[in-house]
Amino acid sequence: MEKSIAIQTKGLTKRYKEKVAVDHLNLTVYEGEMLALLGVNGAGKTTTIRMLSGLSVPTEGTAQILGRDVIKEKDQVKALIGISPQDTAVAENLTVEENLSFMAGICLERKDEVKSRVEEILKGFHLEEVRSKLAKTLSGGWKRKLSIAMAIIGKPKVLYLDEPTLGLDVLARRELWREIEGLKSQMTIILTTHYMEEAEALADRIAIMIDGQLALTGTLSELEEVTGKKGLEEVFVSVAERKALD
Amino acid sequence: MNRTLQFSKRNLLEISRDVLSYIFCIGFPLVMLVIMTLVNESIPKEAGMTIFRIDNLAGGIGIFGLTFVMLFSAMAVSKDRTSSFLIRMYASPMKSSDFTNGYLLPMLVVALAQSVLSFIASLLISLIVGDALNPLGLLAGILALLPSALFFIFIGILFGTLFNEKAAPGLCSIIISLGSFLGGIWFDAEGTGGVMLKICKCTPFLYCTKSVRSALHLTFDWEGFWLPILIVTASAAVMAVLSTLVFRKKMKADLA
Repeated sequence: MEKSIAIQTKGLTKRYKEKVAVDHLNLTVYEGEMLALLGVNGAGKTTTIRMLSGLSVPTEGTAQILGRDVIKEKDQVKALIGISPQDTAVAENLTVEENLSFMAGICLERKDEVKSRVEEILKGFHLEEVRSKLAKTLSGGWKRKLSIAMAIIGKPKVLYLDEPTLGLDVLARRELWREIEGLKSQMTIILTTHYMEEAEALADRIAIMIDGQLALTGTLSELEEVTGKKGLEEVFVSVAERKALD
Repeated sequence: MNRTLQFSKRNLLEISRDVLSYIFCIGFPLVMLVIMTLVNESIPKEAGMTIFRIDNLAGGIGIFGLTFVMLFSAMAVSKDRTSSFLIRMYASPMKSSDFTNGYLLPMLVVALAQSVLSFIASLLISLIVGDALNPLGLLAGILALLPSALFFIFIGILFGTLFNEKAAPGLCSIIISLGSFLGGIWFDAEGTGGVMLKICKCTPFLYCTKSVRSALHLTFDWEGFWLPILIVTASAAVMAVLSTLVFRKKMKADLA
């Protein structure tokens, strides 16, 4: 059976004056899949997410989310997506529950749905024990958890997680991995990261970005087969070195 | 409308949990009210200085308090713009009008609460000093403060949109000083006359104070009330258009 396409970009490019942040990106993500966008800092991962979220206008090329154009049908696209930005974008003086209610009120059309959805997320995302705590008093791990919970409260079809575990300690990272793992197959997810083990542990497929270009895409075994290397770190280094020689 | 209300609720909660907003928006104007009443009581009657008499002071403090609402409007907008919170909101189905109205509504609530509290305090002081204020005048004063509240809140939104978290409060403090001075809150601008009065008349601040003071005295003549309130309303409308356009332009630039 043919898989349905959730995200498709064709020649997607973003230039800032002289700098090319994303260079003719051709990417396909299938429905229900989790794709890890892997790359070092400045590889163009966040710029790609911004363009796919309608937060940045592409200089060239097209991008479609479930058949909707990110430029021409921006409002429809916004209703389909959820985003957890790189920095924890939460309302600091609101409690966990208030943050969730606020986002649910913004994203959900039906008012009567808000309360039940907040309870569902508090339970499903194991946030009940901190529901009455102000966001500013939460640890980094809890804040990231809340940030992701806020991104999915509107029941998005496509979720962007931009460096969700950046700066977290190993335990908080593992905890967050479990939550992200639980979201798999419920929605299409693009996860940007520069942690190899994170991409390896969570993603169905991995797309390696180097200097704004998509260098290689596939499952880990496919990438290992193409490069002849074992493990994602070795694959990544080999791709990066090959790219540097080109 | 629902999204505007949701965003307003969030902003109101954020302000209500910031202790500084109570200190600056409520506490400081009340402290100034008490201090200036003490100053007034210390001035010999034969000096004929009435600027700090409670019927004049109440209106001045009402406007002075609004300048701090402006400061908090600027801080709320600039803080959101500096953090990535607005990025999340930009990716949501919210429109630019939801943002500007969402900042405006809670600030109007704060302005209203502040006006009511400072006028209640003024009434109590007036009873103590034996120069009782007319409760009807106080009600009229609250209504007359609304255009000024809009004027200052829109200046705050404009500054918060244009400047970052560090610059916006600093620039607002210039407006607070200018507003208090040119608005004739701390000195009798119209009694001074000359170049000083001409300068004061060139800014909307004097008309803010004048319209509220007239309303408190229940004096609704053209010169004292209607002309000033028209000027303040027109200034508020100009600032509303300007801040909305600038916010929309900045949002567009952020999303470029």
